[in-house]
Amino acid sequence: MARRRTSSHRRDGWTEAHVRRLFWRAGFGATKKEAAYWARRSKAQTIAWLLNGGPGPHVKLPAPRVDGRGLDPANEYGDDVLWWLDKMLRSRRPLQEKMTLFWHDHFATRDQDRPLALAQNKMLRSHALGSFRSLAQAVTKDTAMLLFLSGANSTKDEPNENYARELMELFTLGRGYSERDIREAARALTGFRANYGGNVVRTYYDKSGHDNSKKRIFGKTGNHDWRDVLDLCIDHPRHASFLVTKLWDFFIPTRISPATRSKLVRVYRRSGHRIKPVLREILEHPALYRGLNSPDMVKSPVVYVAGALRACGEGITRDDWVYLLGGMGQRPFDPPSVAGWEGGLAWLSTNSMHVRFDFANVLLQGSRRVKDGSTPTNLSAKQALARAKAATGRPWTSARTDSALLRLARRLLSDAKPPPGGYRPPKQERADMCQRVLRHLLICGPDAQVH
Amino acid sequence: MTRQNISCACDDFRRSTESMRKRFVGESELTRRQLIGWGAAAGLSLYATRAMPVTEVLQAAEADAAAAPNAPVLVSVFLPGGLDLLDTLIPVDYGAYADLRRSVGVTNPQSLNGTSVRIHPGLALGVNGGIRGLYGNGRIAFLPGIDYPDPNLSHFHSRHFWETGVISADDGPGWLGRWLDRNGNGDNPLQGLSLSYDLSPVLRSRSAPVASASSPGNSGFYIRDVYGEPFDQAMAAYTAIARTSGGGPGLRAAKRNAKLAKLVGDVLAPYAKKDGVNPLASAIPYPAGNGFADRLQSLAGLIAAPLGIRMATVDAPGDFDTHSNQRVTLATDLPPLSAALAAFQADLEARAVADRVLTLVWSEFGRRPHDNDSGTDHGAGGLAWIQGTRVNSGFLSQYPDLRSFDEDDNLKVTMDFRTVYASLIEQWMGTDAGAVIPNAGAVGRIQVVR
Repeated sequence: MARRRTSSHRRDGWTEAHVRRLFWRAGFGATKKEAAYWARRSKAQTIAWLLNGGPGPHVKLPAPRVDGRGLDPANEYGDDVLWWLDKMLRSRRPLQEKMTLFWHDHFATRDQDRPLALAQNKMLRSHALGSFRSLAQAVTKDTAMLLFLSGANSTKDEPNENYARELMELFTLGRGYSERDIREAARALTGFRANYGGNVVRTYYDKSGHDNSKKRIFGKTGNHDWRDVLDLCIDHPRHASFLVTKLWDFFIPTRISPATRSKLVRVYRRSGHRIKPVLREILEHPALYRGLNSPDMVKSPVVYVAGALRACGEGITRDDWVYLLGGMGQRPFDPPSVAGWEGGLAWLSTNSMHVRFDFANVLLQGSRRVKDGSTPTNLSAKQALARAKAATGRPWTSARTDSALLRLARRLLSDAKPPPGGYRPPKQERADMCQRVLRHLLICGPDAQVH
Repeated sequence: MTRQNISCACDDFRRSTESMRKRFVGESELTRRQLIGWGAAAGLSLYATRAMPVTEVLQAAEADAAAAPNAPVLVSVFLPGGLDLLDTLIPVDYGAYADLRRSVGVTNPQSLNGTSVRIHPGLALGVNGGIRGLYGNGRIAFLPGIDYPDPNLSHFHSRHFWETGVISADDGPGWLGRWLDRNGNGDNPLQGLSLSYDLSPVLRSRSAPVASASSPGNSGFYIRDVYGEPFDQAMAAYTAIARTSGGGPGLRAAKRNAKLAKLVGDVLAPYAKKDGVNPLASAIPYPAGNGFADRLQSLAGLIAAPLGIRMATVDAPGDFDTHSNQRVTLATDLPPLSAALAAFQADLEARAVADRVLTLVWSEFGRRPHDNDSGTDHGAGGLAWIQGTRVNSGFLSQYPDLRSFDEDDNLKVTMDFRTVYASLIEQWMGTDAGAVIPNAGAVGRIQVVR
């Protein structure tokens, strides 16, 4: 360990605060152990681990168990959500998990049978940091997607425009195509069929359903098929810029500069449209580490929940997270539409703040509950706050919030008489309540909503 | 964006859904009992009411409501996906319709009072004959062919234009949020209320406080195993943190919504279910097992309460993006929509507030006249309607011609939605439309209020 504390690391100014920021953005927050471990390595080593995996500290959380049973994501209501949440908590590839979430939002699919949704999720994970072309091909022939966007049974006689439109608008280009391009691409995408016999829907490609005549897409005429459509979209001049900007926005809340965008476009194209080199650029970028003591990127509900569970050392032992995530507006496997979640400031409403507040009540029960009589009664306000922070994974708080929490602790621990008509519990109870209240507000206060 | 009507092969899945729902309900009941229990044990200290600004807000809301007891209310109901016009209000030109809809088509349309247009049978379901009955009783103005010039067939662009009232992809507040910025109250978040998990983009404002509540009877705050003065002080600290300055847009939004959430919880506390009694319950039977209907029921109760609600949004369930399985999807999704909206209207009338509420029901675009064998692709010229006792009922726009289409083979647009917005702002809300809808002078007006 001592060997690693070399001057070169001090020269790159790599601190625990940097690690915490990076792990929030590239994963679901750093545990105390992870923060300490990677702060002793260099920035390059830490990013390399996130991108490629390898040895690192192990997060010790129990395997998921709810109501005395393991998870059955294909059959039990909500277990799909818990199954994925568990991966976010325990994965040794947090960036891969974060990118799976990114692609789930990007290629948003809903309303499909669980086995199909789970198969799609695994497919997204396997391509998460790889080639965009391979990913787009896998998505296009994915059964859940074929059913969701009417790709299945779109035939030469009755082509369905649903997938063609979202492929261009949401998946690859954003703009720069015409209604005619969509219609022609819809013809080129024909040929997939679904077989509804039996319990599981099967999809396959049937040449006889494919429109073999000429189509003109982005000014290029030919007997295009579905692979050609993907190539035409990926090689379209707008694609690279569209995708790298969306990736940037997923990690960094400030707008990408034109120079950085050009650089990311170059990196993406030269790599043969691979995701990992673009991610490396973004994770290394100084903008990701700006304002370490004034975070301002809103945590999505999934990041908020998974992050708080990791910070508190809580594994999946209850299923309340399912309805709470729904209440906060982001239930995995259930995006509002093919456009995914709006995200950013739209995560925050009076309702979502209320549910995020309630979340702390659920998290701070069972083994996390401050038991009656468990808190020393001789703590100062400062010690009480330090104790609460240690129990909640040392979350970031502003100096103003710290003063407000200290003021609160002083009041709660004070022996002064209550105001007339007020009820003040005895000393031990107040010490316990003070811990409950501080931990609660550390988990769900405004400061905890940003990273 | 479409929903496949594939039933789940596994019965266990549905059973566990049901048990989960029951448990969730059980959980929140417990929460309420605890809350009430603690309140009683702790005498719900005076500290709270003195230290919190909630009384100011309550007073602001009540002052608002008292000063203008008949202040008009506008409710926006969004039907996601792009509702098809032709299969909802079946056109007079039935020969042309049958040619266009060879494999989709409504087989048993019902008559629509005094017109030669017919209506989907699903819209005749509900109290007093559903949407069809509302039309027959002079409570609906239909707007067939509604859209905007040079329609964009993207869900997300088109929806954004309708939400903001501006034909531009730029971010911006919603048109009802902008109305509140100019004409609303600076203190009362309930003046603009989304009955949903998130705030509707229609209500997004620059400065006016607005709120969302998925279940208004469950908006209160509690901290497990903390009561009495410690609880009051904790909530005072939460509010104090929310009132601190500093931070970027993200942190500021968190603080602002934390502060408003606390206010909403306090203001709505009297409307929480207590001992099995729901203070917002209605005398009108709403359809059961229909979350949309539940939200409309809460909304009717809240509108009737002195809370100063001026603008409200509710999203309808169902997915009207019927690229596939259109016949089945509409037959499934229109009846609960009709039943819920009809009950809402009857409820407003029973609560004697109907004369100050208009409801605009809209979708982001219409669908292609020619079907695609199983459904219809994105098109132009959709359907919206306004319902209420004060609406100028009838057909307020021309039904599009089924024999002459635009260059993309879509219906020709016969009504600009901004014309309806500007007319509602002037005739219903009684304020200047130009301050809310850019270039409102150029979009014309129709008579929407009688």
